[in-house]
Formats: sequence, structure tokens, C-alpha cells
Amino acid sequence: MEAVGLWQSAFDLMLGFSLFGLAWRMLFCADLFKSIVLFITFGLLMAIAWVRLEAPDVALAEATIGAGLTGALLMSAFAKLRTLDNSLKSGQPLLPRPRLHVINFWIALLFTVLLTGGLAYAVLSLPSHSPGLSDAVMSQLDSSGVTHPVTAVLLNFRGYDTLLEMAVLLLSIQSVWSMAGMSDAGEVHTSPVLNVLIQLLSPVLILVSAYLLWVGAHAPGGAFQAGSILGAAGVLLVLSGRPLFNLKKSWLIRLMLVAGPAAFIALATLTLINEGQLLKYPVANAANYILLLETLATVSIGTTLLALFVGSQTEAVQQDQSHQ
Amino acid sequence: MGAQLIQVDWAVVLIMLPLSAAMLGFLLPGMARNIGLLAALLILFTVVGLGWQLTQTGVYSHVAGGWLAPLGIQLHADGFSLLMLATSAIVGVAVSIYSTGYFKAADDQRFWPTWLLLWAALNALFLAADVFNLYVTLELLGLSAVTLASLTGSKDSVSAAMRYLLSTLLGSLAFLLGIGLLYHQYGSVDIAILSERVNDSTVSWAALGLITAGLALKTALFPFHFWLPPAHASAPAPVSALLSALVVKASFYILLRLWLGLFDFQQDSTVANMLGILGATAVLWGSIQALRQIRLKMLVAYSTVAQIGYLFLAFPLAQTGGNRVWYAVAYLMLSHALAKAAMFLVAGNMMLFGGHDRIVNLDRVVQRLPVTVAAFGLAGVSIMGLPPSGGFIAKWLLLEAALAQGHWGIAGIMMLGGILAAAYVFKVLGYAFIPSPVPHQAVSVPARMQWMALLLATLAIMAGFVAQPLMQLIGIGALFDSTGSMP
Repeated sequence: MEAVGLWQSAFDLMLGFSLFGLAWRMLFCADLFKSIVLFITFGLLMAIAWVRLEAPDVALAEATIGAGLTGALLMSAFAKLRTLDNSLKSGQPLLPRPRLHVINFWIALLFTVLLTGGLAYAVLSLPSHSPGLSDAVMSQLDSSGVTHPVTAVLLNFRGYDTLLEMAVLLLSIQSVWSMAGMSDAGEVHTSPVLNVLIQLLSPVLILVSAYLLWVGAHAPGGAFQAGSILGAAGVLLVLSGRPLFNLKKSWLIRLMLVAGPAAFIALATLTLINEGQLLKYPVANAANYILLLETLATVSIGTTLLALFVGSQTEAVQQDQSHQ
Repeated sequence: MGAQLIQVDWAVVLIMLPLSAAMLGFLLPGMARNIGLLAALLILFTVVGLGWQLTQTGVYSHVAGGWLAPLGIQLHADGFSLLMLATSAIVGVAVSIYSTGYFKAADDQRFWPTWLLLWAALNALFLAADVFNLYVTLELLGLSAVTLASLTGSKDSVSAAMRYLLSTLLGSLAFLLGIGLLYHQYGSVDIAILSERVNDSTVSWAALGLITAGLALKTALFPFHFWLPPAHASAPAPVSALLSALVVKASFYILLRLWLGLFDFQQDSTVANMLGILGATAVLWGSIQALRQIRLKMLVAYSTVAQIGYLFLAFPLAQTGGNRVWYAVAYLMLSHALAKAAMFLVAGNMMLFGGHDRIVNLDRVVQRLPVTVAAFGLAGVSIMGLPPSGGFIAKWLLLEAALAQGHWGIAGIMMLGGILAAAYVFKVLGYAFIPSPVPHQAVSVPARMQWMALLLATLAIMAGFVAQPLMQLIGIGALFDSTGSMP
């Protein structure tokens, strides 16, 4: 028993130092491409750290969104930058590293040390164990419609926060489209190996996504993880040159992007009228409502992440109408 | 009928209405403008409904999901929320109508859904009673504000928007870290529950520091104002009006609410005095910078930096000054929102008219755009704090508190700020009367764009005439009366 604890501590220590080391290298690496690869590695190790902290839901989200899709977005942004700036190809830094004046450097260092010290002191003075609201969550879990506490909080107890988060998701694609315009995927590289791999992977990814969605009711999983896997499947299909839908004109894709947030709003309005409170589910129907919300949210999250990836690949449509 | 109407959850409608309109506008880009205009009018009507409800039944609260705090999220509307919701509704409707003249039809699908999401974020923020919910609304607010700021697509506006994005994200993260600490220590994110539990401890102080710094960054308090002038000046004019009038006020609103609700454990006035000193510096620095600008929009943006400074002057005064100081701040938030929105709309008109906004080349614009120049003059009266405007009432109350408490420094700064404001307002008005050596091709400005600017400016003046009833409305729920008095 003692030995296991020692090994675990050693592992945690190694994990912590690796995370710190990776973050340092990522920030101070002159080669942008290398930085992105380090960022993806950082995300995967971070996911393991979340597992060690007994937060498997966060670990899943970190691995799929933090490492996976953010990594894909960064890579596609990098590819875009490379077409603008040839120097990137040779591993040169995009911008010259800003040189701080020596006085500014010491002021910044002093400030950082003080801030870190103060925060560390505050964190160390926290109670080592804080139950938070977990007792309250557990005592009401029976009437939430699901048996997994994280899903109960996200979709029932604090469903209103999730409603607003879905609006943030829609906003993200609205932002990208309003800045870069809307168009279809850019250049495509196909290779026989990639094609076969994608043929094998796509059905599996869709199945995994459906499983994560379903399992979220009683175990780690749920709409965000399922949606990001679905989005990843879409990214692979787009990369292999299969135009899923014509993003520019499709009414269907707009509907898929809106489905999740719209379902939340519709249900909020319905429950406001019927039950007198927004998103107050009758206990008998709670499980069905949550499954419905999560399914539509999965579709929207997956489509949004895919559309973000495709949107970031396009050339910016600059319209200057500032009347200058 | 009346009995049923009083039961309506007006506050919840205020959140759901702009959200639904944003979704519809996103789905049907061709109809985004009409959907948005209809939603704007309905929001104004709903705010009136909520105001009537509050005067009849007092503070309103709603238990979202049917789960009481600490498990669930509650919504809360008192007089201060009502003031901010009404300010957003008035400025929102005027800017919405103005934008139909400013944006081409092709830009509607880029402007309307984002603006409606921003409006939903504002309304949700002013109704929140839960610190984590506040964080979510801040996220929605920040991202939509940055997107709108980048809409012109010019190099300046995109790089200013990027800087704005990084600043606002840093502010959000500091805020989130602060509420994380509070949750771990006190086991709740509900403001009412936290206010009973928060005591003088290391964690409370760390949270106070993080939350105050994060929100000060978002509110652009000196020296965190670096992102504001380029972002506000390079955005499209209707967006600049929204950013300066409403978005920076939203983070200040949170700061004030948490200051009164959570952070009243600290009796020692060091932090309050520090905020006051930064505010005083902002008044002077912002005004001097405004005076030095050659572009009208930059001048108006720096004037915002200065006027935000006044809001922070209240913190040291409130230590002993009691509730009058906070009423003055609420009044200043309203009158500055109206006047500053009017000024940015004016700047948009002049830019459309002459194709530029260089102050020295305004070229007798007073003869050709009399309504617009009148709007600038009236808004200027309120910004300077001259009677009988809303700005006068607010600044008079602040000045009175400063003199009564013997805070001569603050009183001096306020008067100096007023003189500097007069200088930069008259600088613009002066050039509006004289011919420019470089004449320019004039483009006609749609009448509705001119009248909306004048409407907001007139309301800023009118706010000075209705002080008594307005103060009564703000006082619903007595947020300011229970705190801030002599310890």
C-alpha cells in the first residue's frame, strides 16, 4: 500500500514537472510549428493530470477539445500563416521576439514573483478539503433525471448557465464568419493511406460519439465530449476532400448550428409557461428532456467545431466600410 | 388583466427575447434586420413592464430550473438592475435604428445576430445573482463586443480588436480565479449566500484583488485603459456607441455589486483609496489625452477613459459618505451612457458626411448638419457636468460629498476634469463653425441617423429634470441604502 502511494507521488511529481517544462518550451520556442506540437502534447498530459485529480469529465473534454480540436485549429491557422509568410517554412520566428528594456524586465519579474507568491499563499491557506456543493448535488440527484452528478449539474441544476454557454458557441461561429466570410474548405491533400484510415475511423468516431452521449446520463461523458468527437470525424472527412455540405449556402448547416441553443431556449420558454420557472423539468420527464437537449447540443457542438475548422481555412474577406 | 400582467416574468423575457431573435437572425440572414428591429422594440416594451412590476411588487427574483441557491441559479432584479436594463434598452433601440442607416444591407448578417447576443449578455448580466453565472455572461459579452469591434475589417480595427480580446480574456480569467477561490472557501457561488459567509481572510483578500483587478481591466480604469481608445475608435460608429455606453459599464456594475455585497468585510480603506487615486489619474490623463487628439472618435474614446475615472472617485467617498455617493454613481452611469452614445453617433455622422473625422477639417459642418452638431453640443453639456443635465446631477452629488468630507483633492480633480471636458467639447464645436482650408466632398447623412443622436443627447439632458422619481426607481431593493454608510 505504502509503495503504491510512493509510486503515485513520484508519477504526479513527474507529470507536474513535465507540464511545466512543456509550457515553458512551448512559450519560448522560436519555431511556431514546434510550439503547436508542444501545445497538443501539453493538452494530452493535462488530460492525464485531470484523471489523476479524479475529474474524468474534464479529462475527456481536455483531450478532445483542448488537445485535439484546438490543435487542429492552430495547425490550420499555421498553414494559413505559412502561405502569407514564407519565412515560416524555414522555421524562422514569425515576429522578432520583443526585447524588454532591462528596467522593464526587472519590474515585470518583480511583479510576477509577487503575484505568484501572493496567489500561492492564498491557495495554501485554503482548507485542504472542501465539500463544496457535492452533498447538495448528491441529495437531489434522484430527482434530476440522470445518475451522473456532472451531467445533473450541467443539464439540470445549472442548466441556465449551459443555455448561455450554447449561445457562446453559436457566437463563436458567427464571429468567425463575420470576420472571415463563409466559404468551403480550402486545399485538400489526399493520399490512399489517409483515405483508408478515414474510411475505417469515421464510423468508429461516430459510434464513440453516440456512446459518449448516451453514457453521459450515468458516467463521465455527455454532449461536449460527444460533440467534439463528432466534430473531429467531420474534420477528418473534410481533410480527405469529402465536401460534407456546401457551407456557403447551406440552410441545413445553419439549422444544425442553431439546433442546440434553440432547443435550450424552446425548452426554457416551454417550462417557463408550464412550470412557472425556466428550465424546471417535471421529475417524470427530466431524463427525456436532458437526452433531447444533449442530442441536439451534440449536433450543434460537432457542427460548430467543424465549421470553425473550415472557416479558419478560408481567406479573409476584407470589407472596408469604415467611411474613412 | 393587470393582475395577470404583474405575474409575467418580464425579467426572464428580457433574456430569452434577444437570444431567440439572435438565433432567428442567424437562421434567416436576409431578415436579420427586421427581426432585430422588432426585438429591439419588444425589449423596450418589456423593460417598461419590468419597471412597472418592480414599482408595484418590489424586488423580483426568479429561481431558474426550480432549484434554490446554493444548488441552482437565481435571477434578481432591483432598482439598480432596472436602471441598467433601461439604459441598455434606450441606447439599444436608438443605436439599432441608427444602424439601419449606417450598415449596408450586405452587412446585416454580420451585425445583427452578434449585437442581439451582446444585448442578451447585457440583460442576463444585469439580472444575475450568482458569481459563476456572471462569469458566463461576461464571456458572452466580451466575445460579442470584440467581434463587433472588428466589423470594419480594416487593419487598425482588427489589431485593436485582437488587443481588446486578449485584455478582456485576461480580465475574465482573473475574475474566474477569484470566484474559484471564493467557492472553495465558502462553498457557494450565490451572491446572497456568499455575502453572509465571506469574512476577513487571506482567501477573501486574494479574491478581492483578483476580481477587482479583472473587472478594472475590463472597465478600462487607468492604467488598464490601453486597449480602449484604439478599439472604440476603430469600430463602426454604432458599435463604438454600444461599447462605450454599455459594455464598459457592465463590468463596473459587477464590481459595484460585489463591492457592496461581498467585499464589505474590509473596513480598512486602502483599496478604496487606491481605486480613487487611479480614478483621479484617469480623469486627468483621459481628459488631457482627449484634448490632444486630432481625430474626433479618438477624442470621444479618451473622454470615456476620463468619465470612467469619475465612477471610481466614488469608492473613497463612499467609505464615509453613505448611500448618496452610490446614487450619484448610478446616475452618472445612466447619463454618461446616453451622452457618450450620442457623441459616437455624431462622430459616425460626421465621418459619413465628410469621409474623415479630423477635427480641424470639420469645415462649417454646423450649417450642413445642424441636428448632428446640436446633438454633440447637448451631449457635451452632460459630459461637462453643466446644469440642467443628468451629468450635472451626478457630479454635483459627488462634489457635494467630496466637499462635505473635506476631500479637497477629489473636489479639485472633479472641477479640473470639468474644465478640461469643456475645453475638448468646445474645441470640436469651434472647428464645426469655421471653414476648413481643405474642403471635402459631402455625402448626405440619412435623417434617422441625425435624429437618433439628437434623441440620446436630449435624453441625457432630460435626465437632469427627473432626478427625484429616477432616484426612487433606483432605490427599489435598497441596495445602496444598507451599505456604504458609517461603520
